[in-house]
Amino acid sequence: MEEQVGIDMEYKIEDVEGTFDAQILKNLGNNEYVIKIDSKEHQLKILNMNSRGIEFILDQKYHKAKYLENTTSQMSLIVDGTPLKLNVNSKFDEIVYKNTGGGGSADTRVNLHSQIPGKVVSINVNEGDSVKKGDVVCVLESMKMQVSIKSHKDGTVKKIKIKVGGSVAKNDVLAEIE
Amino acid sequence: MISKVLIANRGEIALRVIRTCKALGIKTVAVYSDEDYNSLHVKQANEAYHIGKAAPKESYLNQEKIMDAILASGADAVHPGYGFLSENSDFAKLCEDNKINFIGPTSESMDLCGDKMRCKSAMLKAKVPTVPGSPDLVKDVEEALNIANKIGYPVLLKSVYGGGGRGIRLVTNDKELREAYETVTGESIAAFGKSAIIVEKFLEKTRHIEYQMVRDKHGNAVHIFERECSIQRRNQKLIEQTPSPAVDQKTRDRIGELVVSAAEAVDYTNLGTAEFLRAENGEFYFIEINARLQVEHPITELVSGLDLVKLQIDIANGEPIPFKQKDLKMNGYAIECRINAEDTFLDFAPSTGPVPEVSIPSGPGIRCDTYLYSGCTVSPFYDSLMAKLCAWGQTFEESRLRMLNALNDFYIQGVETSIPLYKTILKTEEYKKGQLSTDFLKRFGIIDRLTQDIKAEKSEKKESALAAAVIHSEYFKSRVSSSARNSHPWKSKLE
Amino acid sequence: MHSDKIEKFLEKQKTALTAGGQDKIVAQHEKGKLTARERIALLLDEGSFTEIDAMATHHYYEYDMQKKKFYTDGVITGYGMINGRQVFVFAYDFTVLGGTLSQMGSKKITKLMDHATRTGCPIIGIADSGGARIQEGILSLDGFADIFYHNELASGVVPQITASIGPSAGGAVYSPAMTDFVIMVEKAGTMYVTGPEVVKTVLGEEVSFEELGGAITHGTKSGVAHFVAKNEYDCFDKIKTLLSYIPSNNTEEPPIVESDDDPNRTDHNLINKIPENSLQPYDMKEIILAVVDDRKFFEVHELFAPNVVVGFARMHGRTVGIVANQPLSLAGALDIDSSNKAARFIRYCDAFNIPIITFVDTPGYMPGTNQEHNGIIRHGSKLLYAYCEATVPKITLVIGKAYGGAYIAMGSKNLRTDINYAWPTAQIAVLGSEAAVKIMNKKDLDNAKNPDELKKQLTAEFNEKFANPYVAASNGSVDTVIDPAQTRPMLIKALEMLVNKRDKQLPRKHGNINL
Repeated sequence: MEEQVGIDMEYKIEDVEGTFDAQILKNLGNNEYVIKIDSKEHQLKILNMNSRGIEFILDQKYHKAKYLENTTSQMSLIVDGTPLKLNVNSKFDEIVYKNTGGGGSADTRVNLHSQIPGKVVSINVNEGDSVKKGDVVCVLESMKMQVSIKSHKDGTVKKIKIKVGGSVAKNDVLAEIE
Repeated sequence: MISKVLIANRGEIALRVIRTCKALGIKTVAVYSDEDYNSLHVKQANEAYHIGKAAPKESYLNQEKIMDAILASGADAVHPGYGFLSENSDFAKLCEDNKINFIGPTSESMDLCGDKMRCKSAMLKAKVPTVPGSPDLVKDVEEALNIANKIGYPVLLKSVYGGGGRGIRLVTNDKELREAYETVTGESIAAFGKSAIIVEKFLEKTRHIEYQMVRDKHGNAVHIFERECSIQRRNQKLIEQTPSPAVDQKTRDRIGELVVSAAEAVDYTNLGTAEFLRAENGEFYFIEINARLQVEHPITELVSGLDLVKLQIDIANGEPIPFKQKDLKMNGYAIECRINAEDTFLDFAPSTGPVPEVSIPSGPGIRCDTYLYSGCTVSPFYDSLMAKLCAWGQTFEESRLRMLNALNDFYIQGVETSIPLYKTILKTEEYKKGQLSTDFLKRFGIIDRLTQDIKAEKSEKKESALAAAVIHSEYFKSRVSSSARNSHPWKSKLE
Repeated sequence: MHSDKIEKFLEKQKTALTAGGQDKIVAQHEKGKLTARERIALLLDEGSFTEIDAMATHHYYEYDMQKKKFYTDGVITGYGMINGRQVFVFAYDFTVLGGTLSQMGSKKITKLMDHATRTGCPIIGIADSGGARIQEGILSLDGFADIFYHNELASGVVPQITASIGPSAGGAVYSPAMTDFVIMVEKAGTMYVTGPEVVKTVLGEEVSFEELGGAITHGTKSGVAHFVAKNEYDCFDKIKTLLSYIPSNNTEEPPIVESDDDPNRTDHNLINKIPENSLQPYDMKEIILAVVDDRKFFEVHELFAPNVVVGFARMHGRTVGIVANQPLSLAGALDIDSSNKAARFIRYCDAFNIPIITFVDTPGYMPGTNQEHNGIIRHGSKLLYAYCEATVPKITLVIGKAYGGAYIAMGSKNLRTDINYAWPTAQIAVLGSEAAVKIMNKKDLDNAKNPDELKKQLTAEFNEKFANPYVAASNGSVDTVIDPAQTRPMLIKALEMLVNKRDKQLPRKHGNINL
């Protein structure tokens, strides 16, 4: 049975220009759908789907996608091996960010996280120092290599949360930079 | 005759050695640390011995524990792989003393090769040209500064006990040299337990060209062609290929003869690699001998048809090399990409953790040596090399295209990899034309091009991404009907 | 057939969607706020919202109100799905008569709340309202009271969550306060009983809306807000995350979320997070993160009373409520605010079948007239009461200091805690050694030739004898002294053992917790 199914959703894709409208036009049953992306219609057949991912055929071409994370405003996926971040409902972005500026919940990013586990070899700044994006904050040793961890933004070092000789795990907070 | 080999290593090279041993009917013994309980090399060997905690010095670098395992298992030979103890002459000697056949050179020869200064003088005696630099180890940073200023910046600060890119820093002035001196010392001690520094002139736009060197216990020596390994970062090789676009048959033969002389000069036995730097003007300078089987040996195997690990075992058994130099002919072209668990955009910082899914490419001309399998883990304790992806073709273009396709098919979930970087490099005109040099990445702005390529790839996939996103809500709608039909405990609680 | 009737219906349906008028919607957006329907659409699964009472209107006559009749009458009500679970949601609609509450609005909301309690599903309210509809006078106030009554009816039956994304003033603030969790959005949500104008008039005090009753104020000072969201997106994310930890009603267990994190994972590094010097502070959250599934901890009341940490996490897939002292703040001492914070959280967990794990490192209660005069005795007793009252599985782990009354209050054995663990670094005693020695050896110290040296010696002796977990272990107050590396597996084993725990309170109308 055919029925008009979905609402028109507006999306933005990280690192890709433009905004896109996508909508489920018809549910043809048997896991087959007609969807519309901007002004073009596409045939979609779901082969396999669960909360972690989906395999589908879009216009006779096979695709595989994994759903990584899904928040109110963002969806992280891996599509055919390529990681992608989509902004969902991007038409609301302007309104929502009007008073608070910046995007998303994990954002004022005071915390400088470590991307790697390792041992702290040296701490190159002091609390109170002002740093620029890219300045070396500390050096970690991992897999016999020394890796410099750089500041993710301009600011002042508010707090240093590590000690020389200590070990950090992946994603540990190294410092707070305001 | 060797009947049981203990492989004193882990990861893909352990698997590699096991594979050849199995084909030869030789029994295999694996060793593993706390991190490697679930590794493939442990599962595929005939026997496996637990040798300690994750940290290398507690396990894979621990000679006593490994010797205990050798004796307990009754192995009569040991293959050290690359890295770890493969160039540790103390370990080679320990094996010799215990009458265990060490599949590699003698401890004396290894010692000589490992001591870059002594090796250098041996080469000079054999009339093999070397790179200008400090005549001996530098005593301190002041001496290093003197020599650097004498031969002229830029120079390389190198730890004699280095290899695999560790313990090397490029410096362009006195200030950098002072800073780097500390770092190089530290890295060397961390990885190899010792430190000693030399200064070497840094030649620009050089090509790193090495030769596969073979010498048996009867004094017969041959070379099995060159490999070009110019594309590097931080002095660690990323892509290797053979034949080198900069080497014609005449040069191949000429340098090949130097390689044979070099092997004789240090009384080398078994397989090793003689590394050269080829300057812009075509001059070749000897750098060092790697007294072990190289990471990139598969590409030599692909163009020669030989099994180099088998050759190692045969030589260790005392057999003569079964062919003469004139019998060796190169067939086709081969490229290897080292697939590392690294974040290219974070200065190649290691990326570790579980790998829930991996799909390994295959097909004509494709070979992939790897320890990966869906559900394995990339450990933070060991180096970041996950897989060696090789492609062979009748022509260079064929091997290049096969490699590109294989890179596209290679999917590793859970860690950042260098796969996108290689795709970008292999697509550049410069690579196609063979304009290789050790500063390839910087010279041709590869990282910027990588960023562009990634954006383009995302743009290509946008329709399927949007389709996947918009259909996501369908999943919940289908779950609605099933949960509504389940009986709720709420209804039955009527107190 | 009947095409004219169908047309009329479609017309009305369309009108209801923008009941207040397009211009009001634009004004709302200009302020950086989404409309009620937009919020519901973002909160719920795409397309899952079914509205109720879309065509309800008020029936008031005074003040020309007949001329200002709008569909929905200022609040949108309905039901839908969040991640596949049924929820009921109402959102005040600022674009219709300023979102003010009328008699009809109250009827709509209470009708919805009745559905929720009858079907056992969570209620989510989005507050963005001008408050009572003054024109309706007492009818509006009675309408609020009706809502409050339904809040009470639902309390402890189904989870009630309030999102404050706009003003709530005067009486309106009490409904959120009666719900289980309040999320306020920075620079958007405000709550106060008396507004800045009246404050100025009566007290001459000048204060801004944000400062008086904004998100940060209520998140840090008053504790009215359990969560502070950066923006509306973040607000809805937090609600969805919160729901993933709690059951839909009090007869259900919380949903299980499988994880790849090995339940037998040992961590030999855990003990190194405690400094050798017991006077040095450390971050208790590091310990919590290292022990729970996937290092995921959903903290509640993060900014309020930081000397105690509460929040949700999972152990081997099952939700647990965590209560822990935080040595980084006030050295982990207990006080009025932290007692309230922890007690309320414990009672929420008890109401909704969520086991409680307590991590202890506290030197005692904060001293001083401020605490005493403001009733630390009363507030402190709430924490004791809450632990005793709870019949969900309770597990306590003493990591460091546990002295005196604070030892008792933090889930000690005889508050009917099921399993009590201690690390070898635990110091369970009546008092810290210095204070104890002063009191118990007063005579000796007074008569000593060298009192300082004697004090040192006696303190060391006391530490040796009492500042450890073994005395407690010897009399059963601690069930097991555990190897810190085994913390995660030991906690999970205890939880699995207790999974079918059944315990009852004596029958009574309700206890008399010292409010």
